[in-house]
Amino acid sequence: MIFTWQLFAQTVIAGVSIGVLYALMALGITFIYSIVRMINWAMGEFYMIGSYLQYLLVVYLFGPGLWYVALPLSALAVFLIGTVIEPILIKPMFGAAIERKDDYATVVTIALLLLLRNLATGLAGPYQRTPGSNLPTIMLGPLPQSGARFAAFVCGLAAIALFYLLLKKTWFGMALRAAAQSRLGVQTAGVDVLRLDQAAFGIGVALAGIAGALLAPVFFVFPTDGIVTTVKGFEIIVIGGLGSIPGALVGGILLGLVESLGAAFISSPYQNVYGFLLVLLILVIRPSGLFGERARLA
Amino acid sequence: MRRTIQALAALSLISAAGAPAYAAEPVVIGLEIPLSPPGDPAAGQLIRRGADLAVQYVNTVMKGVLGGRPIAVDVEDTQGRDEAGVAGYRRLVSEDHAVGVTGFFHSSVNIAVNEVAKELGVATIGTQTSAADITAKHYEVAFRTHAIDPIRVAAFIDFARKKGFKRISVVAETTDYGIGIANEMTKQNEEKNAGLTLQQITFDHATTDLTPQLLQVQAFKPDLVINVGVGQPLDLMIDQAATLGLLPKTPMLVSYDAPVRPQYWQLHPKDGAGIYFVAYYSPSQQLSPLGQWFAKAYQAKYGEPPVYSALNGFGDVAILAQAVDQAKSTDPKAVVKALETGTFKSWAATSVTFPAASGPYWHNWSPPLLILEYTAPNQSWRDAPVIITHTGTAS
Repeated sequence: MIFTWQLFAQTVIAGVSIGVLYALMALGITFIYSIVRMINWAMGEFYMIGSYLQYLLVVYLFGPGLWYVALPLSALAVFLIGTVIEPILIKPMFGAAIERKDDYATVVTIALLLLLRNLATGLAGPYQRTPGSNLPTIMLGPLPQSGARFAAFVCGLAAIALFYLLLKKTWFGMALRAAAQSRLGVQTAGVDVLRLDQAAFGIGVALAGIAGALLAPVFFVFPTDGIVTTVKGFEIIVIGGLGSIPGALVGGILLGLVESLGAAFISSPYQNVYGFLLVLLILVIRPSGLFGERARLA
Repeated sequence: MRRTIQALAALSLISAAGAPAYAAEPVVIGLEIPLSPPGDPAAGQLIRRGADLAVQYVNTVMKGVLGGRPIAVDVEDTQGRDEAGVAGYRRLVSEDHAVGVTGFFHSSVNIAVNEVAKELGVATIGTQTSAADITAKHYEVAFRTHAIDPIRVAAFIDFARKKGFKRISVVAETTDYGIGIANEMTKQNEEKNAGLTLQQITFDHATTDLTPQLLQVQAFKPDLVINVGVGQPLDLMIDQAATLGLLPKTPMLVSYDAPVRPQYWQLHPKDGAGIYFVAYYSPSQQLSPLGQWFAKAYQAKYGEPPVYSALNGFGDVAILAQAVDQAKSTDPKAVVKALETGTFKSWAATSVTFPAASGPYWHNWSPPLLILEYTAPNQSWRDAPVIITHTGTAS
């Protein structure tokens, strides 16, 4: 392995930039968990839907120059899909008939994952596609970044910041945070918690859809392009802490750094292993994650 | 995924109406191809096209096998995963009673399947798998009709010599294919005293960000980068190398024929020109009568000339059908014997044999290996200049 300080700086920047993209992938998972208290194993498939929608809108309607017009439309469509799916598949989880809610959520979302993935393969074929990008290459310090990747980096940071503000500064965000703390409590305050679940699920999958749309020209579009989202997303929420937005950002950046530096200066084939080692380390020293709340024991 | 191409057999039956011999049960040939990621589904689809037309050819032109029995191809999706490939092979052999299994594209899958095949005794023919171990283990059931690692690497070294490249980065995925190529480069560089300075970087096939690896490549300042990714990593490497400024400044050689596929220019409209790539067939090459029939039928059905994956998928199914005829039996052992001793017609002008030769050349027939260059955006691979033509040997 070659080491120079410039190479080190470039690798650090590469790690941070991919880390922000990872954080964007994890945001939806952590958000849905914090409100609905379920793990959505099909999150990667909503990322995939977002990437395909972006591809279709850019290639057949707007062209690469108007990718930013296609982006909110893709996210909106994924939001709507999420709000349609939630009452059918997720809402029954809160009925009295379902005793083991976690098991129910796992089975239902894994079934959804398989359905959506196979549907995409059937409809779009297994081939890789790209919406393309006209954005010029940009220097991020000493590291050249493709315009599409830089746009994803900036939009990712903006999406995380906006989402954070939505949660902290709005009435709706307050209701969501209240539901995250106590579903029963928020119900007694007159909030329709099941409607809140529907909105939270829609927002959560829309975040994955935004990630898919932003990264479509960077990592290509194909039926299983969301696998990375799911794997990295779960690594990040273990590192950063379930339900924490700053945790998702810090966890994503840490994961990106560890993978990039490890691949560049230790051994390249183990790039994905370094992330899992970090996960194990966090589990040993702080099982609730860096920003996660420790469970209160009675 | 498991589908039977009975429809084609049925079509053949209809077209040969009045031939009562076709009422016989079809002879099943297994096709193990990647139809979904993490495999290379585009390759799988092309091989399948070839196999479909081979069914048509055997059932109409050859009038079936064993005096009139039609053939059918049963398809299993390997997904490029060893376990899926092994499970598919077991199903093809135990449930469908396949007389032979072909179509393999991913070396790791072919190697894993061969370990089971040597127990179950049904022949495998590697259609586009090049790791030496597939035939180097000298299993009776293992056959191949593709360029093996030593031949491919010999062509790379010839190419480097011709172009005067001295510093070469080999960026390879950690599969049997990738590691095999990377190690063979080191070995032949020493054995042939080629005088190349090599940088070997390997990466996990599931990696999506190759920037750290490519930064190392850039720091090495190579004359040539050899891209030994398969499927998505291959395309990511081209994209990300272009972003870092490695491309087009430093030439890149793609280790197999992925750039001949139509999607190549859709994925790399700006950065695809200047790339060198391996091909195993050129339209200027002479075809056998079988190959000519196939080229015509393929053009008529798909509206484009065939590429190598389809040609070899066609050829391998045709070879298995001929082996059944030569064996005069559907007994897998007799088919294996026929493959080892017989001479077969395929798409290439030369006949195909599978001699019990030494090392990886055991049961192996190799097409010539070409290195082409895209000199302009959106160029058809048929118009890409041939930089070198390498015969099917490692010398």
